[in-house]
Amino acid sequence: MVTRRALLAAMAAGWARPVLGAGAPRIAAIDWAMAETAMALGHPPQALAELVAFRRVAPLPPPGSTADLGLRGAPNLEALSLSAPGLILSSSYYAFAEPQLARIAPVFSRALYVPGEPPLPKVTELLAELAAALGIPEAAAPVLASAEAEFAALAGRVQDRRPCLLLEIGDARHVRIFGHDSLYGGALEKLGLENPWAEGTRFAFYAPVPIERLAAFPEARLILIGEVPPQAQRALDRGALWNGLLPVRRGNVRRLPGINAFGGLPSALRFARELVAALETT
Amino acid sequence: MRPILAAALLALALWAFAALTALPFAAWPALPWRAEGMETGQILLAFGLMPRGAVALLAGACLGLAGALMQAVLRNPLADPTTLGTASGAQLALVAATIFAPGWLAGGALPVALAGAAAVTLPVLALGARRGFAPVTVTIAGMLAGMLCSAVATALTLAQGHYLLSLVIWNGGSLTQQDWSGAAHLALALAAGLALAALLARPLMVLSLGTEGARGLGLGLAPLRMGTLLLAVCLSALVSAEVGLVGFVGLAAPAIARSLGARTMRQRLLLAPLAGALLLSLADGALLAIAAMEGPSLPTGALTGLIGGPLLLWLLPRMTTHVPQRAEAGDGLARRARRPARVLAVLAALVLALSALTLFGGRGPEGWGWIAPELRETFLPLRATAILAALSAGALLAGSGALLQRLTANPMAAPEVLGVTGGAALGYAAAVFLFPAPGPLELALCTAAGGALALAALSAHALRADLAPARLLLAGLAIGALASAVLGAIMASDDRRAWVILGWLAGSATNVTPAGAAALAALALALLAALLAAARWLEILPLGPATARALGLPMAQARLALILLAGLATGAATLLVGPVSFVGLMAPQIARSLGLTRALPFVAGTWLIGALLMVLAAFGARTATFPYDLPLGLVATLVGAPWLFLTLMKRTAA
Repeated sequence: MVTRRALLAAMAAGWARPVLGAGAPRIAAIDWAMAETAMALGHPPQALAELVAFRRVAPLPPPGSTADLGLRGAPNLEALSLSAPGLILSSSYYAFAEPQLARIAPVFSRALYVPGEPPLPKVTELLAELAAALGIPEAAAPVLASAEAEFAALAGRVQDRRPCLLLEIGDARHVRIFGHDSLYGGALEKLGLENPWAEGTRFAFYAPVPIERLAAFPEARLILIGEVPPQAQRALDRGALWNGLLPVRRGNVRRLPGINAFGGLPSALRFARELVAALETT
Repeated sequence: MRPILAAALLALALWAFAALTALPFAAWPALPWRAEGMETGQILLAFGLMPRGAVALLAGACLGLAGALMQAVLRNPLADPTTLGTASGAQLALVAATIFAPGWLAGGALPVALAGAAAVTLPVLALGARRGFAPVTVTIAGMLAGMLCSAVATALTLAQGHYLLSLVIWNGGSLTQQDWSGAAHLALALAAGLALAALLARPLMVLSLGTEGARGLGLGLAPLRMGTLLLAVCLSALVSAEVGLVGFVGLAAPAIARSLGARTMRQRLLLAPLAGALLLSLADGALLAIAAMEGPSLPTGALTGLIGGPLLLWLLPRMTTHVPQRAEAGDGLARRARRPARVLAVLAALVLALSALTLFGGRGPEGWGWIAPELRETFLPLRATAILAALSAGALLAGSGALLQRLTANPMAAPEVLGVTGGAALGYAAAVFLFPAPGPLELALCTAAGGALALAALSAHALRADLAPARLLLAGLAIGALASAVLGAIMASDDRRAWVILGWLAGSATNVTPAGAAALAALALALLAALLAAARWLEILPLGPATARALGLPMAQARLALILLAGLATGAATLLVGPVSFVGLMAPQIARSLGLTRALPFVAGTWLIGALLMVLAAFGARTATFPYDLPLGLVATLVGAPWLFLTLMKRTAA
């Protein structure tokens, strides 16, 4: 198992280099975190899986000429070969498709989201690794420095240091809560804020959590990430349980737009930006 | 009556344990309840746990009543909101509305769920009406429609590209409440339902004597059936809208009522809701108690599915009514083709022609057309792999369907119905959760093992019961339900890995390696050889065990060998196309409608039709929404289902 993956990674690294001698390669991305990282390095992929959905949550807009590769879980191999990539960016999440992808071009893959392990350090390290694989190793340092600087500046703007519970509303009675091993959780720590959800998670978030469990966090601010479904909104407006929660009674609820929860460093930064801006409104 | 009392006390004790753990009795809020003046703990109790207990009782009663009504009017012990496609129709409507018109749901989910439930149940019943509501036909049609709806819903969810939390919660069937509105809706519906059921009890009792007798007594059959079914559909759609997919209560409650000694129609219509209410309350109470002891919280609907399967297996030997074996009166009339060899040749030519056509033609970013010469080198190997894999998977599923139908002499037997694909799905899910990043080999091994285990469990049960077709069918349904319950629980856990499973459930030909495709093809050819070699057995077996023994057939060994063969073939094919293709059910039916009735042409023809269906499906899946691949299983079902429906309809006229 490990040897096979190691072998593939070695193959990817070994094959990528000669291509890169002739300038940075054309890249195709199956994984969105990889795509975001490549875009941050100033080298956006020529082809991207689920382009339509990606545009809705992307921290940086993909170029108009980007080709769509179909579903991430079942990438269209013909569209992929048409985009003629020199390197395919994937992740451990799509390991099952790797033999297929490797038939078309070398695959660069990393395990970015692993249950129980914070992803922010991994997507940060990815910057340098991907830059090296793309033959532009000098591109990583400035991106990293500006990200650190922006995190520091944002952390300095936060006045109110009460803990923030990070939620996505599922339906009228259930939410999804993001834990320490989520991208948001990592970004929250960078801002010097506390995530009161101490319980474990299953792969970045814990869901579905019945909203009655929120009663255990009377002092927290509730940060709702993403759109609230209309039928849930209607029930939240009227529901006794939701409106009985102390943070709701006190108006300690903030809403953020849709963000890529399984993204790279750019999505972590975007979350931090949106959160700090939301906390500044009263 | 004693078991009922014991169950009621146990359910109450479980709920009370959860409630008292949440809040000591002394702190319980006094009436009248006003949320504004209450502590959080009191709100939790008064607007969370209390309505939840009520909803468990009411939803269970509604489902029990719906099941009892459906079973009474269709005279079919297998009828329930799940097997008639009612629940899946509601599911599809809710999924579609969530994605395309979320505004429609702002006014509540009931109208949408009801429209979906009715839109699926009505054609199923219209088809049933043309065949005199023969239980097996109605159940085939209902399950086909239901699986089709689920497949479309899965495809829609996948195409949406991100996990719709509200949908997976709904699929899991959660009883969590945050006010009394759900309980109020259900109470109103149950009261109305019980009143109407009381009016219907007498005519239904007359109907249970038989359609001829009922007509003789001057009963208007059509309005009675329509009215009763409409009531049942309304009840089940309401439960779907309020709490989601709660499987098996509608099937189990009337069975429990019968086993408790409910003889008359009135007793059954009263006892079934009671049994349903207690069943759901027990399940939900157990989950509440587990959660109160800091255990994991599971969706209730998934749990009823879990206990529903074993319950059915336990009830089987005790059931006096079973699926009538002489279910398909029209079947004997199937016309025999005069020159089966010519039909087979045409089928084989079609398979080859379509394979070639889809290999060179297709759709790219520039539109439809033949493959460009400079792209041949890259595209042809990719396409050839996918086509070969799809073709072989179709042949494997169809072949194993042909085997099982001959083996059981039951036109509804198919790998999908017998729970083999369900077991394979569980194996796949296990692989996804056991390995941090499962590769093709781990997935293949676990999937095949799951299919084999399901079949082993089934054949252990079925062989002991001397393989009575009706029992085999029910046992298979139970295993399939168990599998889908576990999958539902996994989905509802909203783990990101569940997304992988959802993707596979739909099936895709693109993730096959050339080696995998070659292995599938080899298996398909081996299956064909085995089928042809066993043609004599397959000719004799449907004639019944007595005839077979008299002709010197080693019954036990023959059955075991054939069952294992079918299991292996299904497990391998399921890995590729997912568990929802229905090719194994459709191909043998289509073969019979083409006049291939003798064993040899039947198995060969079925094998070819399976391959044909899947080649068509692979082409449609690849091109219809380029570059987004459609689920292979879904397209296969869409290609074959209309034909199967037509076949089922036509036979009445014969």
